Amino acid sequence: MRKTTRRDIFKFAAGSAAGLVFTPAPWRLITDTALWSENWPGIPRPARGQTRTRFTHCALCSAGCAVRARCVNDQPVSLSGLAGSPLCAFGLAGHQLPYHTGRVKTGAIEEALAAIAQRRSHDAVAVLDLRPGRTASWTYRRAMAALPRGFYLAAQSAIPAVNLDQVRTLLSFGAPVLDGWGTPSTVLAARSHFRLIQAEPLESHTAMLADLWLPLRKGSEQALALGIAHVLMQEQNAGASFPAEATAYSPARTAQLTGLPEAQIVSVARELAPGGALVLASQEWPEILQLNRLLGSVAHTIVGRRETPVPASWKKAAPVTAIEAVPDGSIGVLLIDESVCDGYLPWNAIEPKLAPAPLVVTFASSRAGYGRYARFTLPTAVYPEMTDDIPPALDSAAATFRLATPLVAAPAGAVEPARFIAQLAGLPPADALRERTDAIQSSGRGVLRTYADGKSIPVKGVKPDDFWKVLNEGGCWVDAPDPVEPPASACQSSSAAVVAMTWEMRLARGPMSPLLSKLYEESNLRVRL
Amino acid sequence: MKHRSTYVFLSGVLIALGAGWAGFPYAIYESRPQPVDFSHKVHTGAGGMKCDDCHQLRPDGTFAGIPRLEKCAGCHAAAMGSTAEEKQFIDGYVTPKREVAWSVYARQPGNVYFPHGAHVKQAGLSCERCHGKHGQTETLRPYQEDRISGYSRDIWRGLTMGDCVACHEQHGIGQQGCLDCHK
Repeated sequence: MRKTTRRDIFKFAAGSAAGLVFTPAPWRLITDTALWSENWPGIPRPARGQTRTRFTHCALCSAGCAVRARCVNDQPVSLSGLAGSPLCAFGLAGHQLPYHTGRVKTGAIEEALAAIAQRRSHDAVAVLDLRPGRTASWTYRRAMAALPRGFYLAAQSAIPAVNLDQVRTLLSFGAPVLDGWGTPSTVLAARSHFRLIQAEPLESHTAMLADLWLPLRKGSEQALALGIAHVLMQEQNAGASFPAEATAYSPARTAQLTGLPEAQIVSVARELAPGGALVLASQEWPEILQLNRLLGSVAHTIVGRRETPVPASWKKAAPVTAIEAVPDGSIGVLLIDESVCDGYLPWNAIEPKLAPAPLVVTFASSRAGYGRYARFTLPTAVYPEMTDDIPPALDSAAATFRLATPLVAAPAGAVEPARFIAQLAGLPPADALRERTDAIQSSGRGVLRTYADGKSIPVKGVKPDDFWKVLNEGGCWVDAPDPVEPPASACQSSSAAVVAMTWEMRLARGPMSPLLSKLYEESNLRVRL
Repeated sequence: MKHRSTYVFLSGVLIALGAGWAGFPYAIYESRPQPVDFSHKVHTGAGGMKCDDCHQLRPDGTFAGIPRLEKCAGCHAAAMGSTAEEKQFIDGYVTPKREVAWSVYARQPGNVYFPHGAHVKQAGLSCERCHGKHGQTETLRPYQEDRISGYSRDIWRGLTMGDCVACHEQHGIGQQGCLDCHK
């Protein structure tokens, strides 16, 4: 018998390898190794336990979408929207925000209090609110009214509310219409009814998905608005209220300034003329906003909205002041509520208003925003830890009142900005959210909607305690339909410095979940809009 | 010997095929018996019970899964029959109030979300569509755990992602995103 050679062994091994390929073993081992790696030590996994569904509202932007949270042992493990009201990629990953490694969790609270107390008697104190219209905003206004020299500064939109159902042509000067501007479900529902023209130097996400992208030169947005006004004034003999300077912006000159073809400028103006137009901008430039008046959009696509009721005693509050109206070098103490943010003021608009050696305190979960300029960054709760109300969305014609209730507990060192500022101004301690819900309930207006059972109950038949309970369990108050005229100040810029937040800006400003940004960049969730 | 090389090669192929198809499944899975020899047939047959008498959906639509001891003790606080299995169950678990550590055949990995409510209530699927005739079995078969991944062998039997996608496509449920099931 012949001896086994090295060649035989290799041949046998080669035969075995070839045979194994046709068995389940290697393929199963690959899968099993992948599954095994999912359970390595250190990889976070939700505990097994009782699964429950809780309802709340997303506080990441003022759309305030209804959220269905799947919780295991009271720990949220997934967030989703409701039928017909999907969440955006950011909302879907919102429950991961509390665990971001870049989050600010501690701050020199006592030192900040002492420093403010030392200066508030002889310096002007201002609060900058980046999401006006909340109950906390009213607390800030009341606190500033109680101080001898208090200012309430807010990033407030000059457009009170928009009725997207009436819009047929939407001209956006860099506004992130498909990228965090409105309520995703409302924009999604209305998108097929309007033509979107995006005038923006960069090919943003909205520009990519627009029907027409006007890649104009950077800084020439106002020139394009005046050029369009010029065409409208010439062809329709309208626009007496428009700035006389529009007469100087002929299509030829506008084309020269913006880099757009002359014919395209005329064609866009003609497209807007028949009605159903809405003009938005990323910043509240008056020339652009006033196009809405010229096009007859006010009281048509731009509508008025009744105010969500507040207790009568709150009306003695400081007015909303635009940053431009504050004298230069006057603010000694600036308190910035950055815990939620819908629009922001660039620092170069704020800095001239500050007194020498100002004390800037920001309430935030990250130092990436105004924290770069602040002496103190005090940590706040983040969504979904916070208890806050969400003002009505810009695309909601009716007033609403919704609460973002905590799904997880905030860390021990977190500060509630409204409570902090109320104490500072000596306001009596009270549960402002409860006071406001009582005021809404006693107004008897509107209906109370519950997401768990999809019912709407008239507020008149609901007791105050039940009203409060339902709101805390994810209910929503919606005002009765009662159209009101938009205020005379509509589309007259309150503060040209206010910049609308896009989701990309939110990503840049603060800690966001890596999954969230990956979903945002790569998934088809955003593209579906 | 003529063709010796070919025979050596083919013997390698044959041994690998045998080991891969016959030996590997025994090697990769560890079998263990369930803690209680439960008979579904006794409960659904003579007992006249239905699946959702024990495996219930909560009012919020979430699935309660395997009933807890409290549910079993509702009927079995004292022996209802004369079998040794029932006596062992009462003495070992009900009387000392000790939860039964069932091994769940269909338990999916933690990153998979399967809403029973949507499938049973809204789509009207029967339990047997995914679980087969599990509700009519006399005894609980041994639980087979993958030695590497730690998951049940049953998740590869009609409960894979491919099975879910195929069924959804068959029922015309298009536009599936990753996040529908992987939360």
